[in-house]
Amino acid sequence: MANNETDIKIVAFLCNWCTFTAADLAGTSRLKYAPNIRIVKVMCSSRIEPVFILKALLDGADGVLIGGCAPGDCHYSKGNFYARRKIALAKTLAESAGLDSDRIRLSWIPASEGPKFAHVVNEFTEHIKNLGYNPARREVYI
Amino acid sequence: MNKGLWIEGPIKKGILDFLNGLLADQKIKAVLMPAKNKGGDSYAWFLMEKNGMLDSADPAPPVMTTQGANVVSYLTKKGPVWEKTAVLLRPCEYRAVIELAKIKQVDLTNLVLISFDCPGAFPLEKYINGDPKKLDEIFDTCLEKQTELEGARNVCTICHRFSGTGADIEIGLIGGKGEGFWLVPGSRQGEELIEGVAGSKTDNLDVRENAISERTILQETKRNNMLDSFQETVMGPENLLNTLSSCINCHNCSRVCPICFCRECYFDSKALSSEADNILQRAQRKGGLRLPPDLLLFHLGRMTHMSLSCVSCGACEDACPADVPVSMLFALAGRNTQAVFEYEPGRSQDEAVPHTVFKFEELKDFETPYIKEYSKEQ
Amino acid sequence: METMIDSRMIMTDFLAALFDKLDVAAVAAMSKLPSGEKAAYTLFTDKSGLKECVPFFPAMPANAARAISKLTREEAPSKTVAVFLRPCELRALTELIKIKQASLDNLLIISYDCSGVFPFQKINLSDETKLNAYQDAVSTGKNSEGIRPVCAACTRFTPRGADIAISIVGRSADQPLVLSFPSEKGQTAAKQLGLDVSKTVEASPAVESLARERKTAEEALTEQVNESLSGAQGLVNIFDRCISCHACSYVCPICYCKNCYFDSQTFEYFPESYFTRMTAKGTLRMPVDRVLFHLGRLSHMGISCVACGMCEDVCPVNIPVSQIFKTAGSKAQAVFDYIPGENSDDPLPLLAYAENELEEFED
Ligand code: SF4
Ligand code: SF4
Ligand code: SF4
Ligand code: SF4
Ligand code: SF4
Repeated sequence: MANNETDIKIVAFLCNWCTFTAADLAGTSRLKYAPNIRIVKVMCSSRIEPVFILKALLDGADGVLIGGCAPGDCHYSKGNFYARRKIALAKTLAESAGLDSDRIRLSWIPASEGPKFAHVVNEFTEHIKNLGYNPARREVYI
Repeated sequence: MNKGLWIEGPIKKGILDFLNGLLADQKIKAVLMPAKNKGGDSYAWFLMEKNGMLDSADPAPPVMTTQGANVVSYLTKKGPVWEKTAVLLRPCEYRAVIELAKIKQVDLTNLVLISFDCPGAFPLEKYINGDPKKLDEIFDTCLEKQTELEGARNVCTICHRFSGTGADIEIGLIGGKGEGFWLVPGSRQGEELIEGVAGSKTDNLDVRENAISERTILQETKRNNMLDSFQETVMGPENLLNTLSSCINCHNCSRVCPICFCRECYFDSKALSSEADNILQRAQRKGGLRLPPDLLLFHLGRMTHMSLSCVSCGACEDACPADVPVSMLFALAGRNTQAVFEYEPGRSQDEAVPHTVFKFEELKDFETPYIKEYSKEQ
Repeated sequence: METMIDSRMIMTDFLAALFDKLDVAAVAAMSKLPSGEKAAYTLFTDKSGLKECVPFFPAMPANAARAISKLTREEAPSKTVAVFLRPCELRALTELIKIKQASLDNLLIISYDCSGVFPFQKINLSDETKLNAYQDAVSTGKNSEGIRPVCAACTRFTPRGADIAISIVGRSADQPLVLSFPSEKGQTAAKQLGLDVSKTVEASPAVESLARERKTAEEALTEQVNESLSGAQGLVNIFDRCISCHACSYVCPICYCKNCYFDSQTFEYFPESYFTRMTAKGTLRMPVDRVLFHLGRLSHMGISCVACGMCEDVCPVNIPVSQIFKTAGSKAQAVFDYIPGENSDDPLPLLAYAENELEEFED
């Protein structure tokens, strides 16, 4: 149904040191990627509380992308290990609530990998388009 | 100036038509009012614009879920709304809004406050566990006929400020003849909004005003009698403790109370926590101590904090999981403390909350004239 | 399994012995209130009030772990305090200790195999028929009619982690207490009590049969809750009546925060923001973030939810909060292989990590 939905919205929480830098690099290298993401920069992926993700989903975001440094490469040495646990928790709770945990994606994208960033965004946007709109988007009683 | 506008026809539909008209004419941008929840077994609040008005919007719902003043506070606590917004409130909700405006938890700018002659509300628990359709019908009949609402909350049965006096627009039902209602402007703003609405103008509302005075006197007597006899049963620490014996110290009464606005309640603060040995000493003095401690202090303390502004809305009792008659307790406390300062919460925005002001010469009864007594003994 | 012995003491003797032989400074247990109808958790510093004690009264007006947290949070007692806790209260206390909201120092924990409680509004001291039926159910190891749904589906009803454990399921109320002493503190207490440890008692088969009944009930509950938790629609339906009073979090022993995140400025918005959100759908339900509060609270404490049922007991609009938290919480617990309150040495999952784990959640 949603293949041609152009206003699919994806909220992306990106860590300052790796994935946000990768996004920057993708931009300066003029790589094309889907325009559906709205980026929120955080200092570390471990700053992302599951509540941020749940809030985005309940308020109608169609997908949530979390980007951080690869495990072992965290600027603060172990933040992303904690992040992984929090994302696992958020996904599990979303799943238990029947909220399609597939709308949440955690990707480790190093600072130097602009192309990987563009690729992940495109792939995830495509995936979300296939899922269609988040049903919460139009739910007035939520 | 016309005193009011009589609109003939079914009441709730008429009110909604009026609101829809204001929205269509862009005299207001949005309406904040209750509507049925999704399942139709309770109510919630909705901020609605022209295209979003719900069919189930209900200007006078039979039950109070979230106290409306709390919702107005959520909306405007951080600043004024930019465009005119009509808010439908029960009279006690309206009064709470005024109290909150005094302590800067509500910004009245651009709000159009609309209230109605309220027949009371059912206890939340009764509504939730009952047959909503039947209760809706009973309520709507009472609203139209302005008869007593059977099964209403205790505080509602003794409510003596049952009409929306002071609101920008009052929806007048008391004293009405047949199916219909008056739109009565209470401010310049209200007057402007009513202008041009179809209905029969009237510059004499004596029927309504007389009927209100009559009922007020009746209700005041009823209120005083009931509170007097209630006072008998709760006087003294022992009776009070018995009245509170089912209280589980959950503080939900204060959380839902519109007047209790503090983000961190004093009675949950560090001020009242102490080391185990201190608590043990307290227990030792009496041979025992109920845990968590300070249950009575919480209620009495809350009374000192907010009973002057208690509008007797009953939200506390509705939300109490332990069936404590907490809104009656606060109605009693409020009656007594408000009388000292001749203060009536919600009456006027210009009246300061008594404990925020003083007069040089006042309250002599509360001072002990030490010198005089002393000299007498000489 | 620790050896159980016949203490030859009935409850009143046992309570007195706590003062006389163990020299405790105080005992905390449920006791009758002067009104004669209700009971509340009470701290006694001498024997005079003990006749009012009803430690097994099947109601939980407050999760006692909260009370113990209040008692010990600032500073632990300097002398021993004996506290009666239901197993879920004990688990909650263990969780609170991990987050430094309570202290075990100088506490002597007495627990027992729990047959569940009624919703606290639904049981009075004078309800003899109900209480007798409940006692029958205790003695035969069955779920009593009318106990809370989460209690009927509670499979962790044995007193793990207690210093003194009392065995009551499958035994009659007037028989002397059957005790075991699983911890070192407990062993010392046993010696001080001067008990004859040779009088051992067999475990009652009723415990096993209750466990089986509970397991079945738990499975049924899980299935039923999972069915209702079906996405945005399901969530709206479940929490449709919620008035956002947050009583559920206030009474939750695990929700210890003085200023809850969901009552904080983070969730206060400028009026413009409300209007923007209204415009998107034409209508905005208020108070906002109602469903978010529940899911968010789950994300904060679901891993530690001990399924004590308090949240559901206090909800003024009868939302089955604890059934949802028990079910969704246990799924989160499973991801981290964590059982709240089971072992005080298990770190809270979000405060720990392993370098190689949870690959299925990343890419
Ligand atoms: S104390 Fe109770 S009755 Fe009084 S204003 Fe607060 S909620 Fe309303
Ligand atoms: S009166 Fe009711 S709502 Fe208030 S603290 Fe007691 S039990 Fe809770
Ligand atoms: S919901 Fe979260 S922030 Fe609120 S009290 Fe519970 S743990 Fe604390
Ligand atoms: S969420 Fe409910 S059931 Fe779970 S620990 Fe808290 S109060 Fe108990
Ligand atoms: S106690 Fe009930 S009504 Fe209050 S916030 Fe929790 S679920 Fe909602």
